[in-house]
Amino acid sequence: MAKSLRFRFSRGEGLKYLAHLDILRVFERALKRSGLNVSYTQGFNPRQRLVFGLPMSIGLTSEAEYADIVLEEDVTPEYFIETLNRSLPEGIRLHEAVELNNKENIMNQIAAARYIVPFETSEDISQEEMENLIYRMLSKEEILVEKKTKKGMRQTNIRQMIYSISATKKGSGIFELEAFLSAGAESNLRADLLMEAIKKETGLDIRVISIHRKALYASTFNEWKNPLEVANA
Amino acid sequence: MDDSILLKVEKPAKYTGNEWNMVKKNPENVDVRFAFCFPDDYEIGMSHLGMKILYHVLNKREDTYCERCFAPWADMEALLKEKGLPLYTLETYTPLSEFDLVGFTLQYEMSFTNILNMLNLGGIPVLAKDRKEGDPFVLAGGPCACNPEPLADFIDFFVIGEGEEVINEIIDEYKDWKKSGENREQFLMRVARIEGVYVPSFYDVSYNQDGTVKEIRPNISGIPEKVKRRIIKDMDSVDFPDDIIVPYVGTVHDRIMLELFRGCIRGCRFCQAGFIYRPVREKSPEKLLEQAKSSVKKTGYEEISLVSLSTSDYSGLFDLCNNLIEYTEKEKVSLSLPSLRVDNFTLGLMEKASKVRKSGLTFAPEAGTQRLRDVINKGVTEEDLLASVKLAVAGGWNSVKLYFMIGLPTETMEDVYGIADLGIKLIESCRTLPGDAGKSLKITLSTSCFVPKPFTPFQWEPMDTMESLMEKQHNLKDRIRKLTRITYNYHDAKLSMLEAVLARGDRKVGRVIYTAWKKGCKFDGWDEFFSFDKWMEAFREEGIDPMFYANRRREFSEVLPWDHIDMGISKAFLQKECEKAHEGDLTRNCAVGCSLCGAQDYKTGICVRTRRSV
Repeated sequence: MAKSLRFRFSRGEGLKYLAHLDILRVFERALKRSGLNVSYTQGFNPRQRLVFGLPMSIGLTSEAEYADIVLEEDVTPEYFIETLNRSLPEGIRLHEAVELNNKENIMNQIAAARYIVPFETSEDISQEEMENLIYRMLSKEEILVEKKTKKGMRQTNIRQMIYSISATKKGSGIFELEAFLSAGAESNLRADLLMEAIKKETGLDIRVISIHRKALYASTFNEWKNPLEVANA
Repeated sequence: MDDSILLKVEKPAKYTGNEWNMVKKNPENVDVRFAFCFPDDYEIGMSHLGMKILYHVLNKREDTYCERCFAPWADMEALLKEKGLPLYTLETYTPLSEFDLVGFTLQYEMSFTNILNMLNLGGIPVLAKDRKEGDPFVLAGGPCACNPEPLADFIDFFVIGEGEEVINEIIDEYKDWKKSGENREQFLMRVARIEGVYVPSFYDVSYNQDGTVKEIRPNISGIPEKVKRRIIKDMDSVDFPDDIIVPYVGTVHDRIMLELFRGCIRGCRFCQAGFIYRPVREKSPEKLLEQAKSSVKKTGYEEISLVSLSTSDYSGLFDLCNNLIEYTEKEKVSLSLPSLRVDNFTLGLMEKASKVRKSGLTFAPEAGTQRLRDVINKGVTEEDLLASVKLAVAGGWNSVKLYFMIGLPTETMEDVYGIADLGIKLIESCRTLPGDAGKSLKITLSTSCFVPKPFTPFQWEPMDTMESLMEKQHNLKDRIRKLTRITYNYHDAKLSMLEAVLARGDRKVGRVIYTAWKKGCKFDGWDEFFSFDKWMEAFREEGIDPMFYANRRREFSEVLPWDHIDMGISKAFLQKECEKAHEGDLTRNCAVGCSLCGAQDYKTGICVRTRRSV
């Protein structure tokens, strides 16, 4: 039984066109419908005490989103999952929840993400050629991309934000990229931006088929951990 | 729909449907498929209460599936065209052309070109006369249907008045017709006999030499010469949706709307809504509280807004608010109370109701001098307004917005300057309030251009010319320029002029709408799309003078293009109100006493209720 919980949820194809703020509203209203006794912040404009680990951009599917919530009543994680799932639209599902004792904001804990990105190339190249192209790209000290910031477009070096990438040939002109990237409040590399960089650096004509978030990680003493594992650290 | 379209448009969730509470049915298991179309963007359309009500009413029927369709934004329209895809409904992604009935709601004139555009994108012939057996029937309703003539070429039939009951009669008739094997025209004959339905092709219009209407007559027998507006008699017994769709993308009114009553007691002479929804019919506070609670449970919304033309005039306001505030506080739902007249009681309510910041408060004196406020029958005095603003400022509000119209009948430059003077007086009188409250007061003066509308006492009045309106805006701006605590906003006079043509147009105006749409006009109410030049070209090409419709004074004896529509308000009453306006005479409101406007014939609502003692 717990008042504070951390949970993992997924978002499928049907709801991938929602922006992060829309997802936030979906949860707020689902919680209201569910009848769960959610804790609110004090003050002028009381808000539910609900915090998401990492924003989700439009077009992204995911099986590894995390959020923290505070309730006014003690519930079991199983009850929480079951009750909230009943009020959530198809396409968003809770899978796991644990009691939360870690006081650190989840947004500051998230440090890395793993993505799966199937893509097509206009010319059919071999597995080896693809590996060489990626190896050459990662050997560079600087990979510059145009990043949209509050002040407009800005050149950013994303090399340090790429921990590892690998591409596996799945068919003629079809590859699947697995990317382990820096994520979180401090430094975040979006997978679509990485794909733009790969297009530019390799000179390949690439069409991204989809982007899927496979995992999120919290960093503790240089060790990557599932955010649920650090909920009680 | 896939990524190749949806990842290229702004807010793709506007085009994917599947929102919470969306109705799911198997189209194969229903007799009638109805596409409810709102001729504007999703974010506007999903804010509209009427659509939510009719969606609910239609889908309650097992034999009918009502789906939604909105005007696609320009980016989406371009992609649909590029891929050769038709405009579709959100529920089942079915093209509009595959429906039995396609209904549009007419909320404002500047959405008319979007209707043509949506029909065309949906694969339906734009002109009613081009539709063949097997094509959908296109119907329309809503406030702008009270003068249906400018859209007569495009719409098969109109519903005049409130749709909740009529729509069921239409569906029943449609089912019978489908079984009968009759042709298209025979269906229109069937619905033309339903009270409140107007089939324009069954009415002929003849014109005088000077271009005014000579006569409007039925061209077949067995249909009424005048089409009478339908209303709901008992608001408590009418079905009201508590399971409304909860959109994913934020909409303009993204909240529960609790409809207190229909109609308005006030009778402000410029206000079409004040006449065409008569008589005032209230819901009981008990019913409203019940609807509020079940709506919160079924939607999860965090806000409720009371909806009516004038919240303060609701006779059960005290009872309702007391109970509602107790509930909303407990459930952490915020309550907003729009169109309240400010006094001690309502300020207290506002304070209690919402815990939001006291940022802005809005007043609508509508005219700058008492003389002109009397002309329009706006029963607000300068003392009332000063007292209200002082109360609000003392209560912590530090910015006040005032709405006015320019170009009202009989207006002089003195009245226009009166708008600035009123702003100055408010600033001056709040300066002396104890504490700092009054010293930081900021005032926004906002003027729209008066557009004369059908079924108001000003339906015969000329609209002020664009040149005159712009001169008045300019002079007012000049007067306010040096006053740092007053801001001045005003509406585009060109857009208002066009609205005036469409509002009081006859069937000839339909040709201009068609030509303007052909030239690419759409989303005319949006600055980024509105093209005055294209519209003017359309008028020239069709040989139609917009000033004939916008700026001409009509004789009381003239046959008006909407004279065959009976909105339940007598023409004699409107004429008397117009004459009184020119004398500056006030008319009492319905709560004080009856002025025999014609709505008493409906024998319901305030017309049969015991009146307030004064």
